[in-house]
Amino acid sequence: MGAVGLIQELGIIAVSAAVMVALGRSLKMPAIVVYLLCGILIGPMMGWVSDSKGLHLLSEMGIALLLFLVGLELSISKVKDVGKVALVGGFFQVAITALLGCGLCLVLGFEWMEAMFLAMALSFSSTVVVVKLLEEKGEIESLYGRIAVGILLVQDVVVIMLLTLLAGLSGKGGLDAATLGLGLLKALGGMLALLGLALIASRYLLPRLFIWASRSPEILLIWALSWCFLMVFLSHSFGLSLEVGAFLAGMSLAQLPHIESLHMRVQPLMSFFIAVFFVTLGVRIEPSGALDVFPQALGLLAFALLAKPTVIVGIIGAMGYGRKTSFLSGITLGQTSEFSFILAGLAVAKGVIGSEVMLIIALVGVGSIAVSSYMINQSHGLYAWVLKIGLLKFHFLNGKPGIADRIVPLGHGLNGHVIVVGMNALGREIVSRLASKGEDVLAVDTDPVKLRNLPGRTLLGSVDYLSVLEEAGYERAKLIVSALQIEETNDLLAYRSKSVGVPCAIHVVDLSVVDNLLELETDYLIVSKVDGVKAQLRTMKEMGVLK
Amino acid sequence: MSAFALLLLTAAIAYGVGRFLRLPAIPALIGAGMLLHLTGFAPKELKLGSAEGAMKMLELGLVFLVFSSGVELNPRRFKRFGKAVAWVAAVQFFLAMCVGYFCSLLMGLGQLEAVYVGGGMAASSTLVVLRHLQARKAMFEPYGRVVTGVLLLQDVALVLLIVVLSRVDGGSWNVAKGLWEAALIGAAAWVAQRFVIPKLVLRFKPDEENLLLWLIAVLLGFVGIASWLGLPLIAGAFVGGFVFSAFPLNGLVRGQLSSLVDFFQAMFFVALGALIGVPDASMWLQALAYSVVVIVVTPPLVALVAEWRGLNARAGIESGLLLAQTSEYSLLLGLSGLSLGHVSEETFSILALSTILTMAATPFLGREEVAKFLLRFHPLRKNTQSDATPSGHVLILGFGAAGMWILKPLLAQGEKVVVVDDDAVVCNALAKKNVDFIRGDGAEEQVLAKAGARDAKLVIASMRRVGDAIAVLRYVKGVPVIARVFEEIDAEKIRQAGGIPVMNSHASADTFIEWFDANDRVKP
Repeated sequence: MGAVGLIQELGIIAVSAAVMVALGRSLKMPAIVVYLLCGILIGPMMGWVSDSKGLHLLSEMGIALLLFLVGLELSISKVKDVGKVALVGGFFQVAITALLGCGLCLVLGFEWMEAMFLAMALSFSSTVVVVKLLEEKGEIESLYGRIAVGILLVQDVVVIMLLTLLAGLSGKGGLDAATLGLGLLKALGGMLALLGLALIASRYLLPRLFIWASRSPEILLIWALSWCFLMVFLSHSFGLSLEVGAFLAGMSLAQLPHIESLHMRVQPLMSFFIAVFFVTLGVRIEPSGALDVFPQALGLLAFALLAKPTVIVGIIGAMGYGRKTSFLSGITLGQTSEFSFILAGLAVAKGVIGSEVMLIIALVGVGSIAVSSYMINQSHGLYAWVLKIGLLKFHFLNGKPGIADRIVPLGHGLNGHVIVVGMNALGREIVSRLASKGEDVLAVDTDPVKLRNLPGRTLLGSVDYLSVLEEAGYERAKLIVSALQIEETNDLLAYRSKSVGVPCAIHVVDLSVVDNLLELETDYLIVSKVDGVKAQLRTMKEMGVLK
Repeated sequence: MSAFALLLLTAAIAYGVGRFLRLPAIPALIGAGMLLHLTGFAPKELKLGSAEGAMKMLELGLVFLVFSSGVELNPRRFKRFGKAVAWVAAVQFFLAMCVGYFCSLLMGLGQLEAVYVGGGMAASSTLVVLRHLQARKAMFEPYGRVVTGVLLLQDVALVLLIVVLSRVDGGSWNVAKGLWEAALIGAAAWVAQRFVIPKLVLRFKPDEENLLLWLIAVLLGFVGIASWLGLPLIAGAFVGGFVFSAFPLNGLVRGQLSSLVDFFQAMFFVALGALIGVPDASMWLQALAYSVVVIVVTPPLVALVAEWRGLNARAGIESGLLLAQTSEYSLLLGLSGLSLGHVSEETFSILALSTILTMAATPFLGREEVAKFLLRFHPLRKNTQSDATPSGHVLILGFGAAGMWILKPLLAQGEKVVVVDDDAVVCNALAKKNVDFIRGDGAEEQVLAKAGARDAKLVIASMRRVGDAIAVLRYVKGVPVIARVFEEIDAEKIRQAGGIPVMNSHASADTFIEWFDANDRVKP
């Protein structure tokens, strides 16, 4: 217990990130940009944190959990929808961007081998950045969101092939054909095996196991995480990226009922680990010598931010998608990937490129992630602007309707409803009575069994999470009722109802909790014990004991 | 990553098996870790002093575990029973520690090691007991409040003990300095809890992701301060948790924290099991001996003090039975001693085994039947049969806060009423009003006989537990019994036993709908 290396590093990361996020809010900086800046500050500038093994493990866990969450939202049927555009678009985008990028690098004075590596690094986009920002915007399930994620996964497969190819390079550019062939075969076979395993498990194994586990939130969480990291482990064993394994793990669980509560429970873990990932990304930057390569880096940064999205807009447009979908997909993919760092690192280790090229790739990576975070956050405003100035008039489907967009906001379709939390006898009775009066009722509980056979809508999840209440559209509800017998959760619900000005009725579990609830200005106290006594008196009258 | 995946997979299996066998999670997780070691799959970096991934996870797990206990440290929960809680916690902790200390000396341990084992045996598991109370819906029962309070005070006591023992090598001045520093860091946490964090939350209104970042920043910030002062990490994590213990902050962070704690807890206990390995037969025997001491000593100690401080006999016994296990904090204490070289690996393994055994026994010891069985041996419960028993009366079993509502109309129409309640305050109030009463447990046959239950014209069973009402129904046979229940399943049990159920929940739903219909704010 004496060694505090990792905990100390995490402490420095957490404290500085918390302070910088608070400061960054006033400048409306996306969290990712703040994390990167924070990493640069506490890493290369102050020297407080270095890229340690422990931080690397936590970063990898963050990436895995992020992709697992994406998989949870994108069921097999949803991925099938965009399978063609992802495959064709992904392949052509990588090929065309690499070709144009290589040309630009040659113009900028790089040698052939350097130009090829820089071009490859430019052609991949960051799955982690895109997914995190789309999740925050609530647009991961939109058509353009799904297309972007599909293309990113295709890019991941291509990058794995390239890494395998690079690992097969021996010394100064020599090629070990046997290693290369075996590596590629293993990666392809592994991909098919993992996909097969995910499909079979999602159909025959996981439903039974997870429906049994779903009555206990902690077992559900641990089982889901185990499944995720088992797939990550298998993916790693086949020489594939952890992203692919984690995504398939999530996707194979996506069709199970009530999986949304799992999403809520994994989210905090992912948020913690992914923050570590972005800060560590900043820590890895070595800015000394940055000024020497600044002009080239600036040129390539402009290419990543402008030329690459233009290529994507063109390809997706050519496949029959509308202007908005094409534009948003392009903007979303306008940055380089964390894989570019790995690719460049491996190439430097093999002696194929020099360290100054590695520095350019790192600078372009951090710069493009930072700028594109703003662009993704403002993508709808940007679309309106380019439409206004006529930049999209050369689009393939200019003015014609394309394949429709679909954005599903949180709490969609809920307004003026009554939320009833806790499906014990009281909760169920209240739900039935309100539904019979024609009220729009949403029943919430953590146990899927208790949500069965209820009239109206149901939502699985714990109201301890604000995101569950947001999913329930609590700000637009006309009343929130808690039948729960948990003092702390009832207090919290009363507090949250009060803070958004929605009336609430709370179950008084014990008379000792009344003072707190009155202090929280609860609109109605459901005192079941007193009501029970009144009913008991009525029964005694019916029996003739009382007159 | 592979070591990490393996630990997680083992935890998943342990959770599944634990749920199937209805075992608490902690012994299942530690046991699974031990099996991992036995099968030779335990990650090699799992050894003390290692700076590798799996060992780091164990440290992170420990920090989050202690932090979550700190978040629960809210005295408001047991304010009403403050005195009883303080007395029970102080007497039980001190005496149980003495017993553990002397037992350890008898078993051949040195003095310092015996203090560690004594401290470990004195503490009970917050994680196991709170889960048990929640499952039995007993958090609001007097004994539930007392037990919760005792557990939280025990946690504070163990954190202080860990601080003291970590400084014991440097002499008494160093110990005093450690306590002073712990007090300082505690004061800083109090200031942060009262004045700093609530204001920052109001000012910045962080979303869930930012709040999580703040939470981790505060936690690791205090851990850093503790480390800088040379205090154990546990002290920093505990006071860090205390910063978030006040409402509404504790509620706002609960959801975010629970995922992190569940995850790190699973990793921590599996890694701990794998670190310990599988002990030999002599260690199992010693662990069994310690477990028997805990199970035999704790219940009477707690029951005695709890009854002295106003709880009834059954509540006292139930409190004692629920506290009869060693704690996750006992393991932290042992782990701290192990890393300081105060405790041998063998002693730590024995302490861990005792924790597994006593925690595994809790679901059995916590059953109502066990408490009822032990109640028979209560010295003050014998020979309470009275010669003169009432008849033709209305018997109210369990008065509670709403009892007067039933009593008044009955007395007003001249009914003869006898009340049975085990609360001294209630009995004094009834005595002042000249109402016939018997102080005792309404589910006990001797008390029912004394109250003339079989000759009553009506029995009103208002006890909290449906099992008590069914026990009354079995005893009275033929006398109408009205029992208030909450769940449909309980109403069915009462019906089947021949009673008349009145459902609080349905009655409340009626009243709620009346309010809903009459209230302008919620009308469409």
